[in-house]
Amino acid sequence: MSEFLSIENVAMYFGGLHALDDVSFDVGRGAVLGLIGPNGSGKTTLMNVISGVYKPTYGSVRFNGKRIADVPTYAVCHLGIARTFQVVKPFANLTVRENVAVGAMYGRNGHNRGAHASFERAQELLEIVGLARVAGRWASDLTIPDRKRLEVAKALALDPEVLLLDEVMAGLHATEVDEALELLRTVNGRGVTLIVVEHLMKAIASISTTVVVLAEGKKIAEGAPAEVLASPTVIEAYLGTRYAERQRDVQP
Amino acid sequence: MSLGGITGNVTALRVTVGILVALAFVPLLHNSYYENLGRGILMYATLSLGWNIIGGYTGYVSFGNVVFFGLGTYTSAALWQHWHQQNIALAVVCAMAVGIALALVLGVPILRLRGHYFGIATLGIALATQEIVANVDWLGAGSGFTVRPLEAYSAYYYAMWIVCAASMLATFLIARSKLGYALVAIRENEEAAAVLGVDPTRYKVTAWAISAAMAGAAGAVFAGANAFIDAPTAFALDNNVFPIVMAILGGVGTVAGPLVGALILTAINETLWSHFPQIHTLFFGAVIVLVVMFLPRGLLWLLNLRGGWKGLRASVGAYRA
Amino acid sequence: MQLFWQSLVNGILVGGIFAVVALGFSLVWGIMNIINLAHGSFVMLGAYTAYVLFSTWHVDPFLSLPVAFVLLYGFGYCIQRFVINFVVRAPILTTFLLTFGLSLLIVNVVLLIFHGDTKGITTQYSGTNFSIGGVTVGWVKVWTLLVALAITALMQAFLTRTKTGRAIRATAMDVDAAQLSGVRVAHLYAVVFGLGAGLAGAAGVLISLSYSLQPSMGDPFVITGFVVCVLGGLGSVQGALLGGLVYGVIEALGSQYIGTGLQDAVALVVLLIVLIFRPRGLLGKATAS
Repeated sequence: MSEFLSIENVAMYFGGLHALDDVSFDVGRGAVLGLIGPNGSGKTTLMNVISGVYKPTYGSVRFNGKRIADVPTYAVCHLGIARTFQVVKPFANLTVRENVAVGAMYGRNGHNRGAHASFERAQELLEIVGLARVAGRWASDLTIPDRKRLEVAKALALDPEVLLLDEVMAGLHATEVDEALELLRTVNGRGVTLIVVEHLMKAIASISTTVVVLAEGKKIAEGAPAEVLASPTVIEAYLGTRYAERQRDVQP
Repeated sequence: MSLGGITGNVTALRVTVGILVALAFVPLLHNSYYENLGRGILMYATLSLGWNIIGGYTGYVSFGNVVFFGLGTYTSAALWQHWHQQNIALAVVCAMAVGIALALVLGVPILRLRGHYFGIATLGIALATQEIVANVDWLGAGSGFTVRPLEAYSAYYYAMWIVCAASMLATFLIARSKLGYALVAIRENEEAAAVLGVDPTRYKVTAWAISAAMAGAAGAVFAGANAFIDAPTAFALDNNVFPIVMAILGGVGTVAGPLVGALILTAINETLWSHFPQIHTLFFGAVIVLVVMFLPRGLLWLLNLRGGWKGLRASVGAYRA
Repeated sequence: MQLFWQSLVNGILVGGIFAVVALGFSLVWGIMNIINLAHGSFVMLGAYTAYVLFSTWHVDPFLSLPVAFVLLYGFGYCIQRFVINFVVRAPILTTFLLTFGLSLLIVNVVLLIFHGDTKGITTQYSGTNFSIGGVTVGWVKVWTLLVALAITALMQAFLTRTKTGRAIRATAMDVDAAQLSGVRVAHLYAVVFGLGAGLAGAAGVLISLSYSLQPSMGDPFVITGFVVCVLGGLGSVQGALLGGLVYGVIEALGSQYIGTGLQDAVALVVLLIVLIFRPRGLLGKATAS
């Protein structure tokens, strides 16, 4: 059992639907955990459980030794866990800097910061994510890749120990993906543990220290990226039994 | 450090503050028409500033802030009727306390409602309170209270000026503080604000309590100046809707907007009264319709618009089906 | 005990009218997400239409009902198409104030034309009634209820069985998808608003049979419409009907046992209880949010 973040026998049932079933794994401090699986396998549900949005039907999530019980949404970031969302909607009538400043004001260290200090912190974070040049623009004027950067900056403003990224690379083309990976490496380098949900195998392979695979709510594989992504069980889950069989027939 | 969009255009703010200062000198004209008019502007500006905190900055459209005004007038009237107190400051403080208490009690359940539901619930509160008050004997029931005004009648003007100036200062301070950003974040996207650590209930109730204090203070001063209070006067529909239209006209969610709106709308109102007394309300309805159709966010936001004429036309047509 | 049954019966009879008012209000709210604060003024216009037809040409109000419906439908259609359409997708504040301004306009035009004094419609059958077990039941009120029930049934049939009705329901579920399927949304919104106005007008005619007329008579019906929609469940014809009847009874009993000046207080209490304990109302569908 990791002392840092451990997911212990988590099950999430919505009536008769078993979105998650007995999922367990540990996340080490400083790691980058890639979470993959076909659509509907429960990745976003798991993210919701880890970030306190859902209370698991069975099992628990332990962070720094404490269970993440039902905390109200606004208190989750004070635990040290932050997340980004798939559908990115910034505060449209505030500037980019103000968007991030809100997180700095009310996040984990917000009570120590006044308005001025929060704006300074926001500017620092904008430099890190590469948005310093548009700091004074209305957030609604940003391009999609920039909006995703803003989303990351806002999450970082909460001074998290763990950052959950839900398909942050969706809709980006190849160059933008590389830039996003660079940013994630920088963030991880500053000591933030990452849990990344993605569909892009290349991205997951290049950035993760560990990969966990979900299918139909259950964990079907866990390990280093190379072995997990080549595992027949995983290929079968994504592409079906017949494809997996053909692969076995073709490869020596 | 840029103030961003939440205080509003800085030049307009300076001009408006100038107008506010100028208004302080009106009683020196010794003209009761202008004094009443000026006091009315200051009163409506205060009500509008109050509404602006919960409606403009926090995005919770309240159609019930007249309750705080009305109860403020009754506080003042009751202080005279039952305890023979004429002191304006005392009335203001008591009225603010009543308003804040009510906002705290009602706020927690009511502010959980969103959008339309919140709006109509507050409207219901306004109508219901008017009915209840009209049935309570200790508050004058159907016939209302007379209030004996102070000899130095201009004291009411200066009191209203102080209330208005204080409200505007409070709005300015809020807009530049962490509280202001919490409110705007809630307005822009309440769920996202919560994810960033903003406790929505706590800040919404705070905003409503502040707006209640402003409305209550204005009511307390009004009671003495008006010399008479009954339920229809205290809870008049005008006192409910005018402040909202003024905030819209001037600029929702800005510091200067409410006073600007109060000035313009009072000017229009007075012109209509003197030239078209019979169809005054009808014209007023037309004014509301036109303002809402063509200036959905108010004059001060126009100053921030980019794109010149095309930008203006785009903003007018932005909400079409 | 006698008074209780009398109030109950009176409540059910007037509840039919509430149902028709709420139905029109619910259509506009459910499909266009607009709370029409001018809805009450449409009710008033319907009543005055009946009055004009009655006092000028002695047309029986029950016969002027379809006329009022058509007139108010046209009026509502034009208002939506040329005024409200500007702000259909705007935030709530905008539509609230716009419809409020319209309400002021309409009421004051009527005030100019007909002046503020109370008017009434008295037909030959106005005062007739019968007794059941000690409870007096007015014939007019019974026919009113029956007509109201007929109107609700017709609306339900329209929404489920006609092409336009289905287009309306599709637009309510997903505007963009409906548009992609060929629905002319601007026109459809105008149809819906027109129907809402027409229903309000019909309710107004029914009201004119039993109550006196004044330009401000429509104002309470906005709150009534809202409370009945919330009580019965938005988006459901049966909900509007059930909600109307239930609310009619609540109001009648409240009037009898608590006092007549407190209708709005009663309405508010009902509203808050529903919103806090069962927000989807009696027959509404639970929504994802």
